[in-house]
Amino acid sequence: MTVSAVAVVSTPDLAGKRLAFALAEDRVGHYPEFRAFFVRTFDLDRVGLAAPGYVTAPSGLTYALVFIGRSGEAFPSGLEIHAVVDALEPIEEQTLDHDLWAILRWMMDGVGGDWTVADLDATGRLYRIPAVETS
Amino acid sequence: MELSPAIRAHWPYAPRFARVNGWRMHYVDEGSGEPVVLLHGNPTWGFLYRDVIGPLVRSGLRVIVPDMIGFGLSEKPTREQAHSLDGHAANLTALMRRLDLERMTLVCHDWGGPTGLSFALSNPGRMRALVIMSTWAWPLPPAEFHTRIFPWRMTHAPLVGPYLLGRHNALAGRGVYLSVVDREKFRRTAQGAYEAVLPDPASRLLTWVWPRWIPLDDSARALARFRWLEQELARTRIPALIIWGREDDVFDAATFSARFKQLLPHAEGPHLVTGRHFLQEDSGPEIARLVAAFLDRLGQQGT
Repeated sequence: MTVSAVAVVSTPDLAGKRLAFALAEDRVGHYPEFRAFFVRTFDLDRVGLAAPGYVTAPSGLTYALVFIGRSGEAFPSGLEIHAVVDALEPIEEQTLDHDLWAILRWMMDGVGGDWTVADLDATGRLYRIPAVETS
Repeated sequence: MELSPAIRAHWPYAPRFARVNGWRMHYVDEGSGEPVVLLHGNPTWGFLYRDVIGPLVRSGLRVIVPDMIGFGLSEKPTREQAHSLDGHAANLTALMRRLDLERMTLVCHDWGGPTGLSFALSNPGRMRALVIMSTWAWPLPPAEFHTRIFPWRMTHAPLVGPYLLGRHNALAGRGVYLSVVDREKFRRTAQGAYEAVLPDPASRLLTWVWPRWIPLDDSARALARFRWLEQELARTRIPALIIWGREDDVFDAATFSARFKQLLPHAEGPHLVTGRHFLQEDSGPEIARLVAAFLDRLGQQGT
């Protein structure tokens, strides 16, 4: 799985779709370089809370990145990831899990510096995460 | 939450609950005599002390084992902001006051260290003794382990923590497994008990929140509390016992037990037992013997 399997896209057509909650992060700036990555990638200093960011993942699904502000903290303070799915259809859990892993790898590649995809993969292997073992 | 018969076979104790600091806390309270309070850390619960409780009760002690809010059978807040080091110390303080414990011995492990010592050092009049195992209580503690991205910082990095430790329960399962000596015995007899009480991703929140409270630089949220802990530890004369896992590679004995001995020169130990970070899994009965013998000696000294 290459990090290029995830790409930023413009706002998709949401007619007949719903946002299926997948993952939440309450403290995206715990290591500030992660917040900086999202600010840089989605132009958040300009866009602010006006719109989510969107990425496509290996399954072909689009994911909405919903940024969260918190009084007294740098923006964004948090982040939710939602899959954009057909409104009345359940999501396939393994697909979701593999897509999330791909998004993490894409994020790690973008954060850069001391943070590497190789270390993320090694951590996933250490904990025997199915998505890394099959990717 | 109903525990399975397999877990109950190792954990026969009656569940008790108390409202503490706005939360519902589970604890067990066994035996009678002078109280000994056993404190766990991340990501365990009272079950960690299953081989310690019985021997201490049989030696004539009252044994109280709370589950930290966020773990075990206690309430599990689902917002990160519900958790702070001072808040967890206040949770413990509320239970200790509600039970009105005096002449108590506090056994501290992992985050049971900073939380338990915060209570002990702010309520010295209630204390008889301290037992300290695989923890720390000073600013900027990291061993080399805590400075590395792989694996420690990576496991709780933004979004990675909620994925690995939340969706996949990696700390309560494989994480503890990697930090015991007899892994096969742990897998067979204990791993399920740690995983079962954290059944859903939201219930596992504290497993990635606690690592983010370990101070790594001068901007850390809990730096002032850890400075206070270090200062008060160096002043206290509360009798203390230090027990450490010989194979501990998270809070290695050479660095961390030696630092406690430096701060508490009157302490007994360090006594090294078989064990990595979760030394109770490998040496529960031996830890119980060490604690009971220590308290016997204090009794003979009239302490």
